[in-house]
Amino acid sequence: MSSAILEVENLNTWFYTRRGIVKAVNGMNYSLYAGECLCLVGESGCGKSVSALSLLRLFDSPPGKIVQGRVLYNGTDLVACSPDRLRAVRGKDIAMVFQNAQSALNPVFTVGDQMMEQIKAHDGLDRNDVLTKAKMLLEEMRIPGAARALKMYPHQMSGGMKQRAMIAMSLSCDPKILIADEPTTSVDVTIRAQIMHILKDLKARRNMSIIFITHDLSLVSEIGDRAAVVYAGKVVETATVTNIMNNPSHPYTSGLISCLPDISSGMKRLPSIPGNTPNPLNMPAGCPFHPRCSKAMEICRRVEPGLVHIADDHTVACHLYGPGAGGSR
Amino acid sequence: MTESKIPVGKRARLSVYFNKRLAQYYWERLQKNKLSLAGMGFIIFLMLLGIFGPFFTQDPTYSDFNLANIPPLGFSRQESVYDIKTNEFITTVIEGRPDHPLGTDSKGRDMLAMLISGARISLLVGLIATGIAVFIGVVIGVLSAYLGGWVDNVLMRFTDIMMTFPFFLLLVLIVFLFGPSLAIIVLVIGLTGWTGAARLIRSEALSLRTRDFITASRALGASDGRIMFNHLIPNVASLIIVMSTLSIPGVIMSEAALSFIGLGDPMRTSWGTILNAGQHTLDTAWWVAVEPGIMLFLTVLSFNFFGDGLRDAFDPQASI
Repeated sequence: MSSAILEVENLNTWFYTRRGIVKAVNGMNYSLYAGECLCLVGESGCGKSVSALSLLRLFDSPPGKIVQGRVLYNGTDLVACSPDRLRAVRGKDIAMVFQNAQSALNPVFTVGDQMMEQIKAHDGLDRNDVLTKAKMLLEEMRIPGAARALKMYPHQMSGGMKQRAMIAMSLSCDPKILIADEPTTSVDVTIRAQIMHILKDLKARRNMSIIFITHDLSLVSEIGDRAAVVYAGKVVETATVTNIMNNPSHPYTSGLISCLPDISSGMKRLPSIPGNTPNPLNMPAGCPFHPRCSKAMEICRRVEPGLVHIADDHTVACHLYGPGAGGSR
Repeated sequence: MTESKIPVGKRARLSVYFNKRLAQYYWERLQKNKLSLAGMGFIIFLMLLGIFGPFFTQDPTYSDFNLANIPPLGFSRQESVYDIKTNEFITTVIEGRPDHPLGTDSKGRDMLAMLISGARISLLVGLIATGIAVFIGVVIGVLSAYLGGWVDNVLMRFTDIMMTFPFFLLLVLIVFLFGPSLAIIVLVIGLTGWTGAARLIRSEALSLRTRDFITASRALGASDGRIMFNHLIPNVASLIIVMSTLSIPGVIMSEAALSFIGLGDPMRTSWGTILNAGQHTLDTAWWVAVEPGIMLFLTVLSFNFFGDGLRDAFDPQASI
């Protein structure tokens, strides 16, 4: 694979609330290579979405603040660069698709208006070209009757159409990177299949890099090239999807995977990981996963594990694999 | 569906504010509220009167003491004059005359001409002052909600201070200092009346700001200004229209009150001025005070009914 086009280094996004500091993203590291799909996987509230919003500094500030870390895109640090520079990157280089297309479109404009505003803002095309481009994008999204759809208001569209229109809009400036924040949670399975298909298609045809945020491991195996498992605002394991699925190394990852229903196993009841994600206001000391971990050791309670390379392109943050730890798989 | 040109750019922006099908829909909803229609009718009537009326009536400031205190058409008034020679009261009956259909005041000025002039002043003040107030209110409200943080704090505390000012006292003071001209009155009412609008718009924009489409357009590279103008303000457009309509009556009343206490523009005849002139002759020539009173009453009521109707028509949740 080629070199990374986006590198996230030790990213910390904290929210200063009245009840204390919520460390939503707490030292996150990952890189994205050109033309690949990286999946951020994790439970609700583990910081996947905030980490994606942090890339473009889209969270509310205050209370949110990036206290540390770098996001390197083409040599520019998106954390430190000026708002104007960042605005030029948004949409043009890195675009984002939101979870809830229902509310991610402005209700008082037609979809066409919104798409054209977007196209015009970034490349100064003239009227007819803008119109043609908007129509082409909708057709690429396989929205039936694209010319008609342009004149529709969001409330006149179905949820799936809206989500696809949203993707079309985010593609209007040919971004290099698409961040898809659970784009399929609010749509039914047929539309989900369509959207996944579209995303795969985009990746193949436009050589676009995708950061796909999800809690659904089946989607990960469908679309992902690599996956980063996120827990308590940190990446605990990064590997290719095949590796993650067949050879999960972090106890959390293997826990997640064992929760997937398997038709051949004949089990009556699905296993689950005991406990809940830790309270972000009150993180456990040491490894944040240790209270729920079946393989927790004495050291886990005291020392936070660092990332360890256990194989080519497979890193994991767990004391089972550390140089000092005697644990084996 | 036929292929038609889709508006882009400026026309597209305007299409938000005027969309034929949407206008049709609102019009149908508005029509269900008869009081509101009546209000709208009266407002249109008043506007036509204010615009064209003065070309057809006599000069409202022209006075003729021989024709003082003529009652309106269909009414009569008895006038008793003590005759020194005969030591008797001579009672004459004064009937309303068709050339002064609404009567005259104690200086013999034509009531119809004065009322029509007053309509022009009231609408002028009402519309322009409200326009200024709503404009400031929208700017402050949207900026405050969208930028948040210390900007919000400063702007809202400033609004609080403006709200605690005794508005009428301020009005009187400024008119006293700068002299009573219509422009000053309009400016003062406009520059002090924006506080309610600012708060209303702010609260609406605050809830809009957290909606995903705002974050989405930021994610696609929209600037702050673009978000405020193209996404926040169109979404509060209906609120702005309703709010303006409902704040016009208050402004008209303020102007009338100011004229009534004698701080109105002396060069122009407004309803407040006529009310003031009529208060001394309430027992003999009642119509001088009652006629502008009725006009004020109907105008304020019409704007309120119309505003209520608009609010219901624009509110998708309201069942009409």
